[in-house]
Amino acid sequence: MDIRLLTTADLPLIQHANLENLPENYFLKYYLYHALSWPQLSFVAVDVSRPRKGPYDYPKIVGYVLAKMEEEPTDGVQHGHITSLSVMRTHRRLGIAEKLMRQSQLAMVETFQAKYVSLHVRVSNVAARHLYEDTLRFRNEKTESKYYADGEDAYSMRLDLDDVAELAKRYADEEEDKDKDESGRANGGDATIKSEGVDEGEAVGEVGRDPEADGKERKIKVAVGRGLGVGDLVEKDESKH
Amino acid sequence: MPQPLAPKEAAQFRTIIRSFEDKQYKRGLKTAELILKKHPKHGDTMAMKALILNSQGKSDEAFPLAKEALTVDMKSHICWHVYGLLYRSVKNFEEAIKAYKFALKLDPSSAQIQRDLAILQVHVRDYQGYIQSRTAMLQARPQLRSSWTALAIAHHLAGSLTEAEKVLTTYEETLKSPPSRFDIEHSEAVMYKNSIIAEQGDYQRALDHLDTGAKHNLDRLAVLECRADYLLKLGRKEDAVKAYRLLIDRNSEHTLYYEKLEEAMELSPDDVVARKAIYDEYAAKFPRCDIARRVPLDFLSGDEFRQVAESYLTLVLNKGVPSLFANLKHLYSDSFKKDTLREIVEKYLTSQDVDSESKDKGEAAALYYLAQHYNYHMSRDLAKAHEYVDRAIEKDAKSVDFHMTKARILKHEGNIKEAAEMMNQARKLDTKDRYINSKCAKYQLRNNENEKALKTVGLFTRAETVGGPLADLLEMQCIWFLTEDGEAYARQGNTGLALKRFHALNNIFEVWQDDQFDFHSFSLRKGQIRAYIDMVRWEDHFRDHPVYTRVALDAVNLYLKMAEKPSANGTNGADEADALEKKKAAKKARKEQQRLEREEAERQAKQDPNKGGHTHTGEVKKKDEDPLGLTLAATTDPLGEAMKFLGPMLQVSPKSIEAQIAGFEVYMRRSKYVLALQCLNRALGIDAENPRVHEQVVAFRKLLDNAPSDLPPKVLETLKAEFKPVDETADLSKYNEAFQTKHQASPLHVLSAIKARLLLGVDLAKCEKEVSSLIEHASATFTDAVAALETLKTWRSKETDAFRTAALAKWPNVSRLSE
Repeated sequence: MDIRLLTTADLPLIQHANLENLPENYFLKYYLYHALSWPQLSFVAVDVSRPRKGPYDYPKIVGYVLAKMEEEPTDGVQHGHITSLSVMRTHRRLGIAEKLMRQSQLAMVETFQAKYVSLHVRVSNVAARHLYEDTLRFRNEKTESKYYADGEDAYSMRLDLDDVAELAKRYADEEEDKDKDESGRANGGDATIKSEGVDEGEAVGEVGRDPEADGKERKIKVAVGRGLGVGDLVEKDESKH
Repeated sequence: MPQPLAPKEAAQFRTIIRSFEDKQYKRGLKTAELILKKHPKHGDTMAMKALILNSQGKSDEAFPLAKEALTVDMKSHICWHVYGLLYRSVKNFEEAIKAYKFALKLDPSSAQIQRDLAILQVHVRDYQGYIQSRTAMLQARPQLRSSWTALAIAHHLAGSLTEAEKVLTTYEETLKSPPSRFDIEHSEAVMYKNSIIAEQGDYQRALDHLDTGAKHNLDRLAVLECRADYLLKLGRKEDAVKAYRLLIDRNSEHTLYYEKLEEAMELSPDDVVARKAIYDEYAAKFPRCDIARRVPLDFLSGDEFRQVAESYLTLVLNKGVPSLFANLKHLYSDSFKKDTLREIVEKYLTSQDVDSESKDKGEAAALYYLAQHYNYHMSRDLAKAHEYVDRAIEKDAKSVDFHMTKARILKHEGNIKEAAEMMNQARKLDTKDRYINSKCAKYQLRNNENEKALKTVGLFTRAETVGGPLADLLEMQCIWFLTEDGEAYARQGNTGLALKRFHALNNIFEVWQDDQFDFHSFSLRKGQIRAYIDMVRWEDHFRDHPVYTRVALDAVNLYLKMAEKPSANGTNGADEADALEKKKAAKKARKEQQRLEREEAERQAKQDPNKGGHTHTGEVKKKDEDPLGLTLAATTDPLGEAMKFLGPMLQVSPKSIEAQIAGFEVYMRRSKYVLALQCLNRALGIDAENPRVHEQVVAFRKLLDNAPSDLPPKVLETLKAEFKPVDETADLSKYNEAFQTKHQASPLHVLSAIKARLLLGVDLAKCEKEVSSLIEHASATFTDAVAALETLKTWRSKETDAFRTAALAKWPNVSRLSE
């Protein structure tokens, strides 16, 4: 299964995957809104080996993460938010959800200097909670009463991105090294860069926790976000809805 | 020139505008009436009143009023602007643009009118007009970065890459100090400019620009991907290797990176040892990476393949990954690999140390794999598939996956009824999973159980949506359900509801097209330009999506059928029966409509008014006047209606042979022979041996031979010159026989040859006999039998029932044969 950044052409297929898998649905414009506001943050898992079906074949999307930045963070801290994440039942146990999430989180840090990422999950969705809490190490912040349209409560979860920031810095350093290797081409040697890194927050806990080490990959179907479509593209605090 | 008002009325007029903007429509209308009482012919007020009426959904009143406003005040930019806005709201963009232009001529300084005009121009892809508008807007507000970016976009979309780049550079040169490193708008503008340089094919300059201007760009992934791409294109192989390695380190699950890495390392495709080494390296580096383990199976062969496949399969079967088969089935085009994979799994199944206790790992996983293997079309043996899936179910009687596969096997046997029941059984094993719920509903629809399916999906749709599950599915644009639902109705002869669904789907696609409208301005505010360009380009061809083609074909075929049916007021027996049936159907439909209305009223009465607040926009949903599609089904111009679907399909999917075939049928019936021939020639270009195309070739030759009287001689000459497949002197019957002889092994080709014979005047009874005998064809499958049955049905053949009985004797479980 390939993991890659989403393009506009993927959106109807993401919408299809969402409608097939999850109870929280959105119309296409809401997906467009994500893709055109934070194009760096959303990723898809694609079955690239499937033989082409006709001249206008579209990729088969088996999983996606739809993510955004919180536009007006109430705590004043830049952070990302997972609107929806889903992996087809037929493609579980490949660690796809985790791999999608990791790409998204890296971009949240690199592009938007996110400090943490938040999400909502139905209290009753045990499988999704397991993925978030045990595999992805999110922690439950609080319960939001009657968050979902049908009256169910949501757990509001978050994950600090300090580790991801550390990783981003490592990648940046590697790029630097590579630049220095390259003879005479790069105009590197910019000493101020490293101090300007994205990890200007507090000291990093759990440095270098090997994400490969938590091998408990299980369940992968997840419902997050809420079931309202966005009629107009007003950017406002979600809690006001 | 707007008519001047006294200060008091002028203030009131401003109130109207404010009321309109705040959607205080009632208040706005009231104020308008106050002015109109004193100045009944005040154009601007009349125009504003029209605008408000239109927003209230009263466009019937709005248009005449706006026109009247214009007649009393021809020189008012407000009147023209409103006129344009009204046209825009009914999507008559051409007229809207004209009106905006008039308005702008009268008030060249209006930023609002200029902006509305510009947005509409890019919306309809009038790029030259857009460039003009954006140039004017830049002159008005040069201090805004987005003014410059917008002009660059206009040039870019118009194809003037150098102009676009120049505009961006000019703006950059005005910057006194570089913007903050974390300025996202700037960061994106740099990458946008870079993409324009690259699009010009100047990769060296693009690379230099990246290395100087995008060193610390916020979009790291884009920088790395562009850089790797440019380096490879420039032949700087060593640097490209490094660049792709960086990318794989970030994301080891992207096949493209490995392919490019191989290219940069200049590995020959035959050098499997070196290629394998790369993947091995990454498999070791990333223990959970799937691609590094699986991709070598694509290029290895012989014993090496067997060895690697065995270790991969053992690993994955031990873990019990359900997507194993889906991940490997592409290898089945190679028969050696297909057999080897089966052998390995069979061996695994019988080996001593395999886990036989687990519900989903080891033995259970192997049984599951083999069930899917024998169910797959390239390795199909459905009896064996059943055997393996039943053994898997013995391991875990509660497995959703195993039951789901069982249902699929039944479907491939043509037993749609039992397949649907089995899928429902699978659904019940995990009622919290919407995926299996969706699959179950889909199978129920295949089994023509529309109501049951709606109930099934209703377990997951939002309960609070006004109008029930169907309304929720419509609102959420649930394409798959509406398509399957419509097709099921079409199969059952419920033309109204089938058309209802197909039109609903067409509306959804139209909404998708309209969706881009807001982004023409939104994206400039957000600054994410590359994503915006990507969207604009996608919107230009998004109907080439296979789901649109499918719906369009469904609708066109249904309209063709409607056009075929003789009119209900005919005199012969068949027509009378038809009329009677139509009456019955109409009565049934009326009852059904009454039932729906009753249910809806009851449901609304039960609804807690305090919980109704979830309709977030507060807009009143318009009542559907034709919920059963009776009006749609009553159309007197089915072929004209078909054009609504056919036109866009032919435009964006010319390479689809089904689209061309459908196009030919519609154009022939509409006597548009030039267009019909165009479709036929395109179809011939795609697949000259297609059986349907053969029928059409015969039909067209016959048309030319008969030379219809309504055809001007000149046109006939052109058609003859453009029609190549059968020579004018050739005997058409012989041509048809030759086709049949050539394709004797294929029942569908033989069927087409028989249909062509009927067209050439062979006796119907004889043709019916021939169609009936297809059942004896050596390689006939139940799908062929269904096609033969359909043909007999359209001919209203007396052989139909006998054929059905015979076919069912041969394929007893095939649901479509008993329909």
